[in-house]
Amino acid sequence: MAFTKVLLIDDEVEFASALAERLQLRNYDAKAVYNALEALNSIYSDKPDVVVLDLKIPGMDGLEILKTIKQFDPTIEVIILTGHGAVESVKEGLTSGAFEYIMKPVDIGELIAKIEQAKKRRDNK
Amino acid sequence: MEYDEERDLRVSQLSFIGNILAGFTHEIKNYIAIIKESAGLMGDMIKLGKKSKNEPQEYLEIIHSIEEQIEKTNDLFRYLNRFSHRMDNELSTFNVNETMEELIALLTRAANQRKISIEKDFQKDILPMNNNPSMLQFLVFHFLEEKITKLDKNSRLIIKTESANGSTVIRIIPKGNLLDADKEKGYLPYEIQDKVVRQLGGNISQEKEETVIKIPITDI
Repeated sequence: MAFTKVLLIDDEVEFASALAERLQLRNYDAKAVYNALEALNSIYSDKPDVVVLDLKIPGMDGLEILKTIKQFDPTIEVIILTGHGAVESVKEGLTSGAFEYIMKPVDIGELIAKIEQAKKRRDNK
Repeated sequence: MEYDEERDLRVSQLSFIGNILAGFTHEIKNYIAIIKESAGLMGDMIKLGKKSKNEPQEYLEIIHSIEEQIEKTNDLFRYLNRFSHRMDNELSTFNVNETMEELIALLTRAANQRKISIEKDFQKDILPMNNNPSMLQFLVFHFLEEKITKLDKNSRLIIKTESANGSTVIRIIPKGNLLDADKEKGYLPYEIQDKVVRQLGGNISQEKEETVIKIPITDI
């Protein structure tokens, strides 16, 4: 059985690595990256099913990363992760093709439910 | 319509406090998110039965990470508390280095987002000053925010303090390319800037790209 590939993009290293490990313990093929360059390299080489993207990462606007992902492969589903009330950015993200958004601190059950929904939508495309 | 300087000053001050609080809450939320995920990971390791030779060490590392985040949270609360109490009295005797440290702590996140590092170059034995610390922070904040907005990525921003000729001198020194993009964020209307400087009894000058704020130590 192929595990769902999840890419976490967040500059908070401890946060993203702990979250990736929690997903791995639940049998997800999860990986965390911490800046825009690593994120783009991983998208091109790993081809994740679902990306969990913090909109505020150094080096590149999160919305630009989202648009780049969608240009590369529109079937990759993106869940926006936000730790602040950036309502406008989240709205723009959703209109730019993001599947859903989730607020920090994350509820692991809620995140998994959204990853599953996103994977299902990708499989149906 | 007549220009209402006092009203505009109050609006700008509220916006300044709002900006500081937004940065602060964002940062705290991040720390809490890390604490939550670290605690969650330990719980998962126990519940989902992760076994490895390094297990005790791994737990210790996670506990250390949680302790670190709590320490950072505590530091930020301390800075915010001190910042808030600056407004208790219009006039007080204070150490300018401490007021600048508070601003830097509360602005670091915004600077990091633009890959700009803020550096301190404080005179260690700087003389205490008697003035309005909150108003001074308000003034300096706008120059810092303006520079953070205009500086190219991977630049540095130095805040230098010194006592000289009966004044406290604060120099805001950008090290990097200043973009000429028309970014209004951080700009304080000249009329308000002038009013604040008059209230503080000082003056501002521009030496190339360096902003120099001089405030008398004892008089207003």
